[in-house]
Amino acid sequence: MLMSEVIKELELTVLADTGDMNMPVTGGYVSDLLSHVMGQAQAGQVWITMQGHQNIIAVASLVGLSAVVVAGGIEPEQQTIAKAKEQEVILCKTSLSVYEAAGRLYRLSL
Amino acid sequence: MQWLRADLHVHSLLSPCAAVEMTPRNIIRNAVAAGVDVVAITDHNAGDNVAAALRAAVGSGVTVLPGMEVQTREEVHLLTLFEKMRDFVVWCDFVKQHRSSLQNDERKFGAQFVVDESDELVRIEPAMLLASTDLSVQQVAEQVHSLGGLVIAAHVDRPAYSLISQLGFIPPELRLDAVEFSKNADGASAQRRIGLIGDLPVIHSSDAHTIEDFVTGPKTMFHVESPTLAEMRQALEAGNGRRIQR
Repeated sequence: MLMSEVIKELELTVLADTGDMNMPVTGGYVSDLLSHVMGQAQAGQVWITMQGHQNIIAVASLVGLSAVVVAGGIEPEQQTIAKAKEQEVILCKTSLSVYEAAGRLYRLSL
Repeated sequence: MQWLRADLHVHSLLSPCAAVEMTPRNIIRNAVAAGVDVVAITDHNAGDNVAAALRAAVGSGVTVLPGMEVQTREEVHLLTLFEKMRDFVVWCDFVKQHRSSLQNDERKFGAQFVVDESDELVRIEPAMLLASTDLSVQQVAEQVHSLGGLVIAAHVDRPAYSLISQLGFIPPELRLDAVEFSKNADGASAQRRIGLIGDLPVIHSSDAHTIEDFVTGPKTMFHVESPTLAEMRQALEAGNGRRIQR
């Protein structure tokens, strides 16, 4: 499944779209502890978090994630959005809870 | 120049997780007995026992620095330290406006006591102090620095509430005056984090919640002219012959 399809299925709001929308999504990962994301998340996954700090973009870029989804109605900081565009990381937000967003992602049989 | 033994992270009984024995008067009495020259009172998201500690320390030879351990919206704990009560009061009011609106549940988290310099109860703080403010790490650093204070990332070796656990690495644009290692920091975990800390000065403090923690916990030595925040800032920067030693 492509990232563009995930965005459609989860009804995500795209905040930064300079990244590769045609990248195949390999799965999902959930954590708000960036130290763990750096060690455990796998390239190609969609990461769902409630952290909106700009470090999420550096971590996503480092791991090679498909996208970052900031859930729970959290508004990522302006610098985070700017950095996502600059580093070509797809950044989305949703008012869905992390649980709901992860559940919907899982149901897509990723 | 003199060597001062400083503990820049001490909780009073205002912190719900601290023992009731952590009254300002008792902390000062034990500081005198244990040879601690500088004590920063750093309760969670509040500073209501600092004035009592300053009064309790008069004539004791112990210097009290007004401080607070603030929890940011990223769930990062930052120590904030001030020289003057005037600036600290501004900081406390600012944090109060950015605290969660939740109320404390004494049975679950413990009571939050405000006392005077004679250990008399003044009031019980009803607001939930053990919760994140809506301030970002960046906002905390900017506001504290604009008030002339110091910002130190607390217990960066710990798996929770630390700048490194929460944000993976120290944001390059964030201005910190130092990072703190906890009493549990073993050599290996500390070493592993050296790369993440870069050139930032490292201090050790007790993060005491009990008198036992306070007396036995780690401290940092400051080689300074006098026990002021301005001198201690220079020691952290290793400037003008001032320096620190763990």
